[in-house]
Amino acid sequence: MMQGLRMPALSRDKEDTLLLIASTLLVLAPHAAHLPPWVTLVCGATLVWRAVVTLLGRRMPPNTLLLPVAAAAMAGVYASYKTLLGRDAGVAMLVLLVAFKMLEMHARRDLFVVVFLCFFLALTNFFYSQSMFTALLMVVSIAALLTTQLTFQLTGAVPPLRARLLLGGKMLLCAAPLAIAVFVLFPRIEGPLWGMPEDAQQTSRGLSDTMAPGELSNVALSEDVAFRVKFDGPVPPQPSLYWRGPVLAAFDGRTWTRLPPRRIAGRHTVSLAIGGAPVRYEVTQEPSNARWLFALEMPLTLPDLPDNPATLTGELEIQAARPLTERIRYGVTSHIDYNLQLHADGDVARDDWLLLPAGTNPRALAEGRRLAAERDPTRRVTAVLRRFRTEKFTYTLAPPRLQGADSIDDFLYGTRAGFCEHYAGAFVFLMRAAGVPARVVTGYQGGELNPLDGYLTVRQSDAHAWAEVWLEGRGWVRVDPTAAVAPERVQRSHAHALPAPPFGLEKLGRLMGPQDPDALLSRVRFAFSALNNGWNQWVLNYSVQRQHDLLTRLTDALWRWQTLAVLAAGALLLLAGIKFAQRRRSDPVDRLYSALCQRLAQRGLPRAPDEAPAAFAARVATANLTPDARAAAAEFLRRYSAWRYARETAPERHVFNTLQALLSRVR
Amino acid sequence: MAAMAPAATVRVRLRAWLEARRAGMRARATARDQGDVLLGLRRVYILPTRAGLAFIVLLLVLLIGSTNYNLGLGFGLTFLAGSCALVDMVFTARNLADLRLRPGRAGAVFAGEDAPFELLATNPTPRARYAIRIDVDDVREPRHALDLPAGGSGTLTVRVASRRRGWLRAPRVRLTTSFPLGLFGAWGYWQPDSRVLVYPFPEQAAPPLPLLGEPSPDGLGGAGGDDFAGVRTYQPGDPLRQLAWRRIARLDPALGGHLVTKQFEGGAKNELVIDFDALPSSIDLELRLSRMTRWVLDAESQGLPYAFRLGRLRYDAALGPAHQAACLQALALFLLPGGDGDAA
Repeated sequence: MMQGLRMPALSRDKEDTLLLIASTLLVLAPHAAHLPPWVTLVCGATLVWRAVVTLLGRRMPPNTLLLPVAAAAMAGVYASYKTLLGRDAGVAMLVLLVAFKMLEMHARRDLFVVVFLCFFLALTNFFYSQSMFTALLMVVSIAALLTTQLTFQLTGAVPPLRARLLLGGKMLLCAAPLAIAVFVLFPRIEGPLWGMPEDAQQTSRGLSDTMAPGELSNVALSEDVAFRVKFDGPVPPQPSLYWRGPVLAAFDGRTWTRLPPRRIAGRHTVSLAIGGAPVRYEVTQEPSNARWLFALEMPLTLPDLPDNPATLTGELEIQAARPLTERIRYGVTSHIDYNLQLHADGDVARDDWLLLPAGTNPRALAEGRRLAAERDPTRRVTAVLRRFRTEKFTYTLAPPRLQGADSIDDFLYGTRAGFCEHYAGAFVFLMRAAGVPARVVTGYQGGELNPLDGYLTVRQSDAHAWAEVWLEGRGWVRVDPTAAVAPERVQRSHAHALPAPPFGLEKLGRLMGPQDPDALLSRVRFAFSALNNGWNQWVLNYSVQRQHDLLTRLTDALWRWQTLAVLAAGALLLLAGIKFAQRRRSDPVDRLYSALCQRLAQRGLPRAPDEAPAAFAARVATANLTPDARAAAAEFLRRYSAWRYARETAPERHVFNTLQALLSRVR
Repeated sequence: MAAMAPAATVRVRLRAWLEARRAGMRARATARDQGDVLLGLRRVYILPTRAGLAFIVLLLVLLIGSTNYNLGLGFGLTFLAGSCALVDMVFTARNLADLRLRPGRAGAVFAGEDAPFELLATNPTPRARYAIRIDVDDVREPRHALDLPAGGSGTLTVRVASRRRGWLRAPRVRLTTSFPLGLFGAWGYWQPDSRVLVYPFPEQAAPPLPLLGEPSPDGLGGAGGDDFAGVRTYQPGDPLRQLAWRRIARLDPALGGHLVTKQFEGGAKNELVIDFDALPSSIDLELRLSRMTRWVLDAESQGLPYAFRLGRLRYDAALGPAHQAACLQALALFLLPGGDGDAA
C-alpha cells in the first residue's frame, strides 16, 4: 500500500522538461509586472498545461489547436497595444511565443530555441527595470538556463540536480571575470542605432518641450555633456545652480507642455528686480537639435549669437531662432538674487498658472482643495513639501511606470517613487488645486566642477525639473520639491543623489538601536546609496565618455614608473615562488636518484614503480651492463638506500658528491 | 639543506630535466606501441555546432539591442552570455582531452559477422566526464556514449562488419562530445591497435565430411575407430559418450582424480582428414577454404577427431577448441600476405 502512495520517480525526460519549465518561469516572471494581466494569465496557463502534459504523460496538443490559439493571442496583443511593432507589444509577443513554443517542443533543436528566446527575454526585461535586484535575478536565470541546457546534453549518466546546478554555477563563475573585463573594455557605440516608433522621444538629445512621467529620467540616464560653463568669478554654490530651460504650464492630466505662444505674447511685461553681485559666465553648449539656450536663473542679458538671434520669452526662457546643430559659445550675465514679477499685472495671465484639466486626478485635486483652507499660501507650499519629506517618498532613477490616465494620483497615492519630474509635476498640480499659481520649470541643476581647468560640466544626467509658485509680495519663487525628498540631489549633482531606502528603514533603525537611531540609519542609508550610486555610475551609465575616461586614466596609471615597478616586482615574486615550489618538491639527492633510474631505463632496465632501491640494485647486479657501470649503479643504489632509509648521518653535500660521481660512471 | 657548487647543481638539474623529458617521450612512445593512447589537448579539435552558430547570432542581437536602447545591464547580460559560451568551449575540450584509451580484447568471427572491438577508456583526471560519444569514424551518428566519473573507466564494444577472412584491423574511432552546453562540438580520433581474426565464411550447403571409408549407419561416424586402445586424460571437447565412466567412478576427484577419455584405435580407413589438397583445384580457393571451415565446425560438433592439412601445415587428428582455433586461424590466414607468419 505504501508503494502505491509514494510519488513515483519521474523519468529522465519528465524531469528535464520540468527543469526547463522552471527556468522559463524564472525568466518570464519579472515580465508580469508590465504585461497586461491576460498575457500573464495565458502564459501561466500554458506553462501549467505543459507541466500537466509532462507529469501525466499526455500527448502534446496538435498544431491544429496551437496555431489558432497563437493567432488569437496575436490578435489580443494587437487589441491591447494597438500595434504589433512597438517595443512593448514585441515583448508581449515574445513572451507568448516562448510559452507556446513549450507546447511545441519535439526535437533537441527546439530546446535551444526556447533557451535562446529566454536569453533574449531576459534582456527585454531591462527595458522596464535595471535595478540591482533585476541583475541578481538575471544571474540566477542564466544559471538556471545553463543548467537546463547542460542537462539536455547528457546522454547516459545523470548527476543529481545539485551537482548540475553546481556545474552551471561554476561555468558562470568562470565566465564572470571575462564578462566584467569585456564589459569595461568592449568599445561602446553611442546608441541608439535607430529609433523605434514608440521610443522616438527617447532619441531626442537633451530636454524636450514636454514632460511626462518617465521622460526626463530617460534623459538623465545619459552621461552626455549638455554644456560647459566657465565663470568669470567664483562659482556660485551648488544649490543655486539652476539652469533654466523650458517652462511648462499646460497640463492634460499626464503630460506637461508649454503654453501656446500667442497667449503669452504681449500680454504683460516681465519685471525683474535684482540684487547682489552679477554672475558672469560663458556657456559652451553641445549641439542639441533644439532651440533652447541655458542660463543661470535669472539671466539679465541675452546671449549674442551671430546669425541665430536669441529671444527671451515671457517665462524668461531663452530661445534661439534655429535649432542648435553645432557647438556654440555665448556669454550671459545672471543674478542669483532676484525677484521675478513682484506685482501681479493681470489676473488673466495668472489664470494660466491655475488651470487644471477637468476630471483627472480626483484624489490629488481633493487634497489640493483641502489645502486651500490654509489662508497663507506659503504654508500651503510648506505643507506639501513636508508631506514629501516625511512620508515614504523615494527618489529613483528607475521609477515604476505610471500606466493610468491619472498619473499624479498614481504617483502620490500609489508608487511614491519617482524622479524629479514626478515631484515637480505633482507639486505644481497640488499647488494649483490649492489656488497657488504654479508652473513647472525644466532645465539642469548643478554640474561638475573640474578643479584643474575651472570648467563646470553640466551633463544630461543633470537634467532636472522644479517648480515656481507665485506668492504675493515675493513674485515667482522657485520651489524644488525634489530637494525635499533627496536633498543631496540639489546639494551635489544628481549622480550622487541618494535614493531613500526602499522600504521603511526608518522604523527598522528605531527597532535596532534606541540609543542613536539616526547614526545607524544614516550609515545604512549611506551604504545603500553608495551601492546604488556605484550601480548607476558603472553599470547603467557606463557610457562612451566614461569608458574613454576610464581607459585614459588606466593607461596613464599603467605607464607611470611606480606601476611598472610594482608589476615587475610582482612578476619576480611569482617567478621566485615557482622556483621555490619546484625546489621544495624534489631535493638534489632525489633528483640524482631519478636521473639514475632514467639512465638505467634507457639501457633497458626500467625500475618498476613499486620497486625499492635495494630490490632494484639486486636486479641491476645481474643486468647486461659494463662491469664498471653495473658496480657503480649498484653502489649508487646501496648508498642512496642507506642515506634515505637507514638514517645514515653523512652530510648531504658529501652524499650528493659521491652519488654524482657514481652516476657519471653509469654509461 | 647543504649548499652545493652552483655549477654542479645547474648541470645536474639540467641533465635531470633533459632525462625526464626523454623518459616522458619514451613512455609516451611505449604507450603508443601498446595501443595505449592519451588523447592530448593537441589532438582534440573543436568547432561551434549549429546551435553555437545560432548562439553567436543571438549574442549579436543582444548586443545590438543593448546598444540601441542603451541598456547598461543588457551589455552585462550579453557579455556574460558570451563569456559562458567561451567557458563552454574550454569545458567541452576538457571533457575530451587527457582521456586514456586502450584497446580491449578482440575475439574472432566468421566472415560476414560483425567483428567486435572492445575499447577501454580511462579518466585519469579528478573531474567527471559526461556524454562522450564514440563510434567508428565514418558513422554519421555515434551509437555509443560513455560517462566516466573522476578516475573511473568504461568499456564499450564497437562492431564492424567483416567482409573477408584474415586479420581485420580496428577501424579509426572518433570520439565526440558537446557537453556541457552543446554550443561547441569537440572531437578526436584514435586508431586502436587491435585486430580481430576473421575466419572464412563456413559454406552453407557443403558436402558431407570427407570420411575415408563408409560412414557408420548412425551417421555419427566411427570416431577414432572401434578398437579400445586405452584411456587418456580428458580434453575439453571430448564427446561425453567416450568418457570412461567406470574408471572415473573409481577415482575420487577430491583425491586428485580426474576425467579420463577412452581412446580407440581406428583403422586408417575411418580417419577423418580435412585436406586442402584433396579438394579439386577447379573449385575457387575461397570456396575450398569455406568448405574446409564448415567441415572443421561439423567435425567439432559431431565430436569426430580430425586431422587437418593445409599447404605445408599438418595437424594430427584431434578434437577441442584449441585444435579448432588453430585450424580456423590457418584457414583464415592461408595465402594472405603477412598472414602466414601469424598462422604458425
